Amino acid sequence: MDQRVVDFIHALRAKGVRISLAESIDAMRCVEIAGVADKQFFRSALRASLVKEPRDLPTFDELFPRFFGLDAPPPLQQPGGGMSPEEREQLAQMLQQMLASLTPEQLRRLFEMMMTGKGMSGSQMRQFIDENTTATQMTTGFQPWATRRALRELQFDRLEQLLQELIEKLREAGVGEAALRQLEQEARENRAALAQQIGNEVGNGLQQREAEERRRRPAEDLQDRPFEELTYRDDDEMRAVINRLAAQLRTRVALRQKRASKGALDAKSTIRANLRYSGVPLDIRHRRKHLKPRITVICDVSGSMRAVTGFMLMLVYALQDQISRTRPFVYYRTIADVQADFQQLRPEDAIRVVPERVQGGPWQTSLGACLATFTRDYLDAVDRRTTVIFLGDGDDHLSPPNPRAFETIKRRAHRVVWFNPEPPYRWGREDNHMHIYAPMCDAVHHVSNLRQLVAAVDGLFS
Amino acid sequence: MFNTISDVKTALSAQRYIPSDEIATTVFLAEKLGKPILAEGPAGVGKTELAKVWAAATGRELIRLQCYEGLDETKALYEWEYAKQLLYTQLLRDKLNDLLAGVTTLAEAADRLAAEEDVFFSSRFMLPRPLLKAITSEQPVTLLIDEIDRADAEFEAFLLEVLSDFQVSVPELGTIRARHQPMVLLTSNNTRELSEALKRRCLYLHVDYPTAEQELQIVNLKVPGLPPKLAQQAVELVQRLRGMDLKKHPSVSETIDWARALLELNARHLDRATIETTLNVLLKFEGDLQRARRAMVRDEGDRARRERDEFGRPRRDDEGGRFRGN
Repeated sequence: MDQRVVDFIHALRAKGVRISLAESIDAMRCVEIAGVADKQFFRSALRASLVKEPRDLPTFDELFPRFFGLDAPPPLQQPGGGMSPEEREQLAQMLQQMLASLTPEQLRRLFEMMMTGKGMSGSQMRQFIDENTTATQMTTGFQPWATRRALRELQFDRLEQLLQELIEKLREAGVGEAALRQLEQEARENRAALAQQIGNEVGNGLQQREAEERRRRPAEDLQDRPFEELTYRDDDEMRAVINRLAAQLRTRVALRQKRASKGALDAKSTIRANLRYSGVPLDIRHRRKHLKPRITVICDVSGSMRAVTGFMLMLVYALQDQISRTRPFVYYRTIADVQADFQQLRPEDAIRVVPERVQGGPWQTSLGACLATFTRDYLDAVDRRTTVIFLGDGDDHLSPPNPRAFETIKRRAHRVVWFNPEPPYRWGREDNHMHIYAPMCDAVHHVSNLRQLVAAVDGLFS
Repeated sequence: MFNTISDVKTALSAQRYIPSDEIATTVFLAEKLGKPILAEGPAGVGKTELAKVWAAATGRELIRLQCYEGLDETKALYEWEYAKQLLYTQLLRDKLNDLLAGVTTLAEAADRLAAEEDVFFSSRFMLPRPLLKAITSEQPVTLLIDEIDRADAEFEAFLLEVLSDFQVSVPELGTIRARHQPMVLLTSNNTRELSEALKRRCLYLHVDYPTAEQELQIVNLKVPGLPPKLAQQAVELVQRLRGMDLKKHPSVSETIDWARALLELNARHLDRATIETTLNVLLKFEGDLQRARRAMVRDEGDRARRERDEFGRPRRDDEGGRFRGN
């Protein structure tokens, strides 16, 4: 049973579940304590000690029946149950003779396992398969096919022929017909069990190869993947990642504020706190600086920018408790205030509908005109405590750059920061006006993936 | 304490808690191995309740540590009682002459004072917080560390020492070992990834929303007076709400609250008016409420249409329609 649990742990690891040595030892102890009599308890015991992430639970549920359920191959039995000791002796001798002259090697070992009932553990079997078959490049979906191929390469079908040969020889040696029939039956059951075990191990091999490949792919971490490569499929995962990141940011900000309690001495609070020590100032209080920036985000929602904009807004809204006021604007050919959308809808839904608030089509970004509209209509969204964040590539296909309007905004704002997903060498090429706006900003961040975006947002709180 | 897993089940059931096989096994293993349990799952599925009934079932005292952002060692472990120390200093000042009577050299005086100093940092002036209380308790206790995901990562690291060796280091006093190893339950709502090191030290228990059957059992147990048919309908509705895309899904505790409300209102069946007035017990966001109402109206329309199709004429009867007004 121990060996089986070890094999199970290997299979889980192959599937990408992280299990440490300490945890596998725990699993062994848990199995010892919970016992194997009740399957449900046994299963819970393994689950409690091995799987520590909700996302790994499906993997566990998928693999468990394969190892411990009805799907698990039955153990091999020793054939020849109905024989007398002399006959058994004969069987052993004949088998020895046959095995001695049998080629190829892998077939000899299979036949031996089938006729003696001494099987291999999962890992041994895997090695056996790896050594004797050509490596497959198939995915797990092709498991039946790969299994058939492995069986063919192991010349599994010749086992039947060998069995008949052996029985024929035994019959000539005068072994009873009933005993022979039983032998044949038992040998066939063994063969079926072996086939099943080979099938399972082929499947495990495929899974392991997939897991390794997944590990080898470098940009698997969503945080480091460029925005444009993120697909809709990743959306759910992204939302979880963003919530995590927001929680991380929040903790970081809270810690920073706690550590930065070396502000000005708060005399009133100190006196109040130390009354109980008869006025001896044991407990010094400092005035806390609360950093709650007001943020106005002005986002480009042209096709290329939509993903970044979505993530940015989601992140900003996940940090609502750290931000005293957020005003979101989106622009394309026109600019619009989309605060109402965010008040009525959940951020995810709002992000989906906001691009409809502005007009524009391919090659119709009009940043300069939008800046003019903004300074005319929405300047109340900017005051001396506001950090204005521009999120865009700085492209402008219809209008000339508008540094004057930008200057107006900057003069009113606390800070103006630009997040740009385009690499700096592209700024100022063709229709790009980033080189004009960049020197006027307090800070410009190049954000091409989530990690950079989070670092940039983190900068807002310092 | 427990000999078999079924013992755990019986003991927890006796405390009016319905444990799944998972929960019973994990609690049993934790008792046997002395390992902490990390319970994760959505809010309001009975993680904290589990700690309470576990303590009650084993007759141990429950010590609770609620985590929050910025929780630090002084709040979780111990703090020096400055005020008392200060009073003691003044006492000492009065006694100074007695103490130093007959002292001739400065070194001797310093030695005598140093002997007194040790008293300052003794357990006499220590204010034990939950963790220290759990470790130094005379009786075995159950320690609940609630919502560990709210605490900072550095506090989590600090917990590691406590959880693996059940000992804490107080610089002035040295290392304090646990007299009895406390049974520890950590809960997390999974708002943040916990560290691998912490997870490795714990048995993991994923508590999810109960199945309809289990939830009905829970409602029957907690709200005994509720008519069976109504309980059935209520649970079905809650289960359906959980399947919808809502900002916050109704938790088990909210189901129980709602069942209590229905009982108080003397409701006989779930008609539309009752649902309208009590739905806010289940759903806490205006957007969710509207969404749920819309879904119910839509459902009702569907059902009416279906019935018309089947029988060729509109039908209105009292049976069958869960959300139908009458």
